Formats: sequence, C-alpha cells, structure tokens
Amino acid sequence: MIFQVDFKSGKPVYLQLVDQIRYAAAAGALRSGEPLPSIRPLAEELRVNRNTIAKAYAELEGQGVIETIPGKGCFLKKSDSPFNKPVRQKLLAAEIDEAVVMAHHLQVDREKFLALVKERLDYFERKSDAKKND
Amino acid sequence: METNTPVIKIKNLTRRYGKLDAVNGLTLTVRAGRCYGFFGRNGAGKTTTIKCLLNLLRPSDGTVRVFGLDPQRNEVAVKSRLAYVPDMVAFYPWMTVRDTLEYLASFRKHWNGDIEADLLKRFQLDPKQKTSHLSKGQRTQLALIGAICPEPELLVLDEPTSGLDPIVRREFIETVIGAYQSGDPGSRTVFVSTHLISEFEGLIDEFTIIEQGRELLTMEADAARDRFRKIRARFAQSPAQLDLADALNVKQNGREVEILADGNSEQLLEKLRALQPEDLRCESLSLEEIFVASGVLKKAKT
Repeated sequence: MIFQVDFKSGKPVYLQLVDQIRYAAAAGALRSGEPLPSIRPLAEELRVNRNTIAKAYAELEGQGVIETIPGKGCFLKKSDSPFNKPVRQKLLAAEIDEAVVMAHHLQVDREKFLALVKERLDYFERKSDAKKND
Repeated sequence: METNTPVIKIKNLTRRYGKLDAVNGLTLTVRAGRCYGFFGRNGAGKTTTIKCLLNLLRPSDGTVRVFGLDPQRNEVAVKSRLAYVPDMVAFYPWMTVRDTLEYLASFRKHWNGDIEADLLKRFQLDPKQKTSHLSKGQRTQLALIGAICPEPELLVLDEPTSGLDPIVRREFIETVIGAYQSGDPGSRTVFVSTHLISEFEGLIDEFTIIEQGRELLTMEADAARDRFRKIRARFAQSPAQLDLADALNVKQNGREVEILADGNSEQLLEKLRALQPEDLRCESLSLEEIFVASGVLKKAKT
C-alpha cells in the first residue's frame, strides 16, 4: 500500500499512518494476514523518523488492528474488533459527529448527508467485494 | 545503562568573540534516541554552539555536557562516541576515497564494513578516486559514510545539506534514517543544525529555534504543528471590523483574511464562523513556517 504524509494537516504524522492503515483495512486494500511494510524502508520512503512508524504500529497493535510476530514483522489481524459493541458504537459516533458538524458548516442538509453516507457505504462494499472476487 | 543521562545537556552557555556574544545563555537538553533540530538564521550561534560540544571552542560561561561528560576534560571519551559532519568538508587531497575511509577507521574502535560497502555502492563513489577530484556532493557523501560506519551514539550534523542538489539532499536524509537509525534506536541520537528545515521535517522529534544566541522556542514537533496554525477566511463582503487582537498575525486583503494562531485556533475559528464566511480553512504550519513565524513571535514577546 502507498502512504501519504501531510505535515500541514494538523494531525500528528503517526496518527495519519494509523488512519491510513485502518482505512486500507476497511476498504480491503489490506487483508487480514497480509504484512505491513517493514519500518526501515517505509521510514526511508516517507523520509520520516523511524520512531514515528514504530509509534504508529504500536498504536495499531494497541487498538488490536495489527499484530507483531517477532522476527517476521507486522500483520493485519482478523477484523474481530477487540472492543465490545457499545464501545465500538461510541467510537464511531464521535467520528460521525465530526462529519455532522462539517456538513452543517458546508450547508449540506439532512437528506443530502444521509444520501452521501449511503453512497460511501456502497463504495466501500463494492471495493471489498471486488477484492474478494479477484 | 545511562539511558537517563541526556546525550547533550547545555546550560547557560555563553561564548563571546571579543565584545560580541555569539551564544548568550543558551540552555537545551537532548535525550537519547531523539532526532533534535537546531534552527536559526545565519549568525544565530548554531555553529558556535556545536563547536562548544566538540571542544573546538571553549565556552566563555555555562556548562556543556555530552553523555554526561565534559568535552574539555574527557575529550577522547566524548569524541569516540560521536561523529560530526560539518557544512564544509575537507579531506587530504592526495588520499583516495579508500585511503580516507581507512584513515578515518584507524581512529575508531568499531567500524561497520558492511554499511561502508553498501553506502559506497549507493552513492556510486569510486574507492580509487582521489578526494581532490570529488564534487561537493560527493565529499559530503564521503563524510557521511565516515560518520555512520563507526555507528556512533550521537551524530552531529551542522548544515549538512546546504549547497547540495535536491537529489543528493534526499539521499543524505534517507541514509541518516536508513543506515544510521536502523541500529539500536535507544542509542542513535541525531543533533542537526539546518535552515533547510522542510527536508528534515519528518525526521525531527523536537527542536530549538535560536536567535541572537538565545533560545527563542523549544518544542516537540507534533505539539508545535498543533499549536501554530494558519487560518484563511473569505467573506462575501469585506468585513468591517475584525476583532482578532489575540491572533499572532493578521493579514487582510479585501475579502480575504489570513490569520496566524498561536494555540488559540479554535477560538479564532469560532469568531470567524460567527461572521459566516464563504470559505474557511485551517492548516498547521510546517516547521519551516514556524521558524519564519518565530520572528513575529519574538516581536510579540518584547
């Protein structure tokens, strides 16, 4: 997978990597059991500190998204979330709130917002179906 | 081991050249395993500070400790654990690349030949070439090989990439990340002085901006990017009165306003939203922009 780092986004670089990997996992670009790039080449490629990559991987491991197999590297875990359902929903609600606030400022109304959510869901489902059918 | 001892500890360092205070009461601490940026304009006192670390200059006042040791008293102990790449690299002109590396290795207890071979190949340096025939970029590459192969605990870089072309600069930084940092991360510390900040942006954990020999700002890079933000707003009509006194800097051009926020971007955004702008954007400042903005910060302080 290809990563992109933006120093101006206001989000710490390691969290950008965390989000991109989670996004890739949700979109099927990264499948369970697949390896993540190893730290050194990725750090060189992005020209960021190795510690930044290590921190991102540690965070993902803490969230239960990936697992480290000593001597082999990091792999995407099966998508069984370690969080129970209410916690998961709460986490998601916080993210949705941000989008709702954004929609308000951009003057996107309720119907258009819901339609957009559906469209995005379809998009991801299509993407991960297409991957499965490869 | 001595993991708790800071790799560099500078306290109230002052160094005078005649009447001029090149460094004036500088204090900073670099912890092990970090990549520390040391930013400042030309003549701010960066090189003088570095020379005090290496005992190339004696401090007029204050203390300097490297690995907890005094570089004046324990010069050999300190120097055997660090490597230094200056901005102007000089080698003996009659030596070849091979001779130079062997000469440098003769001063070191430890020399990683695999890294040496790797880097010579990567930089496409011919070991039989005389150093007098090398370009500026190749000289810097050779100096970097000489600095990395002993696998020192501290790598001191003083304006290492100035005067190099963009591709050589990129390779330089990738080498620092790849070849140098790949060892035991707890004992690979980088102290880099530069004004080409954007190139080192991703590498820097923490930095100090020095201005006229004094510390102006010391921060973690992530915290700094969070604190300093640029807000751009565009209104339907030129806003009559903007109350933005708590912004670091305000630039207005007709209907457009650009505001520099110092830790208060949320409040400023809230104020601007109330005025119903057509467009409102907020982004972090890069370290380079923070460095440029630090001039404004200085004015605000005084």
